[in-house]
Amino acid sequence: MASGLPILFLRVLGLPVALAASIDARAAVVQGEAREADGTPVAGTVITLTPRSARPPAGSIGQKTAVVDQKGREFLPHVLAVGVGTDVKFPNSDRIHHHVYSFSPAKRFEIKLYKGTPAEPVRFDRTGVVVLGCNIHDWMVGYVFVTAAPYFATTDDAGVWSLDLPAGDYTLDLWHPDLERIQEPFARSAVLSEGRPLNLHHTLVLKRLRRSGKPPASRQEEDYLGEP
Amino acid sequence: MARTFTISGRARTCFKLLAAAHLAMAPPLPAAEADAGEFPEFEVRGLADFRFLHPSAGLSWLDRNLGKFRFLGEGDSNLFRVNEGAITVKSRLNWDWSAAVTAKYAAWQKVAVDITESFLLFRPAESPLRFGGRLGMFFPPVSMENEGTAWSSPYTLNSSAINTWIGEELRVFGGEAQASYRFDGGDRLGLFAAGYGNNDTAGVLLAWRGFSLHDYEAVLNDRLPLPAGVGIQKIFPLQSPNTEPFVEVDGTPGFYVGATLERPALGKLRAVYYDNRGRTTAIENGQYAWHTRFGSVGLRLELPWDSLLIGQGLVGGTRMGAPTGGVFPVDVDFWACSLLLTKAFDAHRLSVRHDRFGTSDDDLFPEDLNRETGHAWTVNYNYVFERSHQLNLEVSVIDSDRAARALLGEDPRQDQTLWQVAYRFFF
Repeated sequence: MASGLPILFLRVLGLPVALAASIDARAAVVQGEAREADGTPVAGTVITLTPRSARPPAGSIGQKTAVVDQKGREFLPHVLAVGVGTDVKFPNSDRIHHHVYSFSPAKRFEIKLYKGTPAEPVRFDRTGVVVLGCNIHDWMVGYVFVTAAPYFATTDDAGVWSLDLPAGDYTLDLWHPDLERIQEPFARSAVLSEGRPLNLHHTLVLKRLRRSGKPPASRQEEDYLGEP
Repeated sequence: MARTFTISGRARTCFKLLAAAHLAMAPPLPAAEADAGEFPEFEVRGLADFRFLHPSAGLSWLDRNLGKFRFLGEGDSNLFRVNEGAITVKSRLNWDWSAAVTAKYAAWQKVAVDITESFLLFRPAESPLRFGGRLGMFFPPVSMENEGTAWSSPYTLNSSAINTWIGEELRVFGGEAQASYRFDGGDRLGLFAAGYGNNDTAGVLLAWRGFSLHDYEAVLNDRLPLPAGVGIQKIFPLQSPNTEPFVEVDGTPGFYVGATLERPALGKLRAVYYDNRGRTTAIENGQYAWHTRFGSVGLRLELPWDSLLIGQGLVGGTRMGAPTGGVFPVDVDFWACSLLLTKAFDAHRLSVRHDRFGTSDDDLFPEDLNRETGHAWTVNYNYVFERSHQLNLEVSVIDSDRAARALLGEDPRQDQTLWQVAYRFFF
């Protein structure tokens, strides 16, 4: 039971299962939540943890596949964090076409998604933020955060995240597509010890103007076609 | 003249065929989506708009008067209307090309169901430098408000003075080329240029009727009434009592050029210069060619707390007839601007717009009174539920001073008010 729980957590978070397998007796737990100052949970915050020692982490960093679905004419998840070298599949769960593209420096690509026909996965082999768009549905926007950090998590709708990893000293970073700044106090270093879970609370200040990536609230406002 | 007639006839036939071809591509209703995974992919959109109107505004311009709103009252001050029904069929032909046809029924419209737009759109995959374009019949890109289904506005029922005029008299029958450069941060700079025909009468309504405030968009075969009793027929006996907004009279194509600057989640700035290059000496079937040109600037700015600011300005002029000593029989300068502030409270939205406008004339016939000034306020509250249903309560007040009203025995300066309750269904 005790060992089953972290694996479940990682699965919920969409993290590589192989990472969980590398947890040994000296495993530590770090968990936290990201909220705005008024208490609103911030989903889609990426937390990365990099060991301070130059020693590479033991075992495999994990499975190298992930998924960004096109569903209800939005990218799901809105934010996906992956390790460098991950293959990301772009299935199309809608009954219409999508035309996914990015020209972010970290990965430029274009894939044409027919209804129900799987496309070849896209390998994200450089670190950075990849902004996804759809040429047919202008409001669609999604983010693939490609990191070299061996341990990372993404907050869920309740703003909560959790990671199991070896005890040690780590450098912690936070990223969110609408992040303006992280409210102080914010400690970038985290010391994780065995048997004592570390709880972290971060308060994020987000930009006032954001793109949700969701279809407009009214049908009336769904794209008027073709204006320059 | 015979040559002009041939071009005009051909041009109209050509666009009608294009429109018919688009309609023919539409699937039988109500199949909104094709089942096969291939092209073409169809999408059907539209709206139904029901109104209760309470005008305190005298007679409308539709009664051939100089009233500013759209209603045919027949003396009644409480009117129920099926204001409009519109349907847009979009067909995606392949990854780069799509087509869209919008047909509508509207209260008062001469042809029960007719076309407002029908065009092919070339929009290849997004890339830092992208070229695209439109071909067919479509609105020139002036309005920053009418970006909803069938050119409706999500903010108000009555369009602004500028956009009312765009809806009445301006349509491109031709092609528009677009180039846009997208910077790494997502900002976009776009340039566009178009050539078109069938817009030779554009401007006549601003000269002889003035600016107006409503939501009637002219259709392919439209005829719009000109004011009666203000001396137009006496001075210009060849002029038909109606203007046909989309005819080719002089065989000379017009153009517009423009630029767009856009920052995602912040706003959009667009400037357009339009010139229909009308040869003012041409007339055919009671329709004069008017030489109309204007510059237009529009700004759409997202503000914090779910609010949005839209500003538009337009300055131009229109001329008609053979000049004598450099002076034209009709020579009218016009200008208009508007500022709209709108804020959403979840499914509720409150919008306030102020319009100002004016025309001045300096031409051969001082008895043809085309001067006017005015301003208007429009306040709209709407509530959207289930994404498709929208309830509206709107009041528009317009205060205008038009000398020609004296010829009708009316006070040149008038305050006119229109209350509207609307239920709109979008599908």
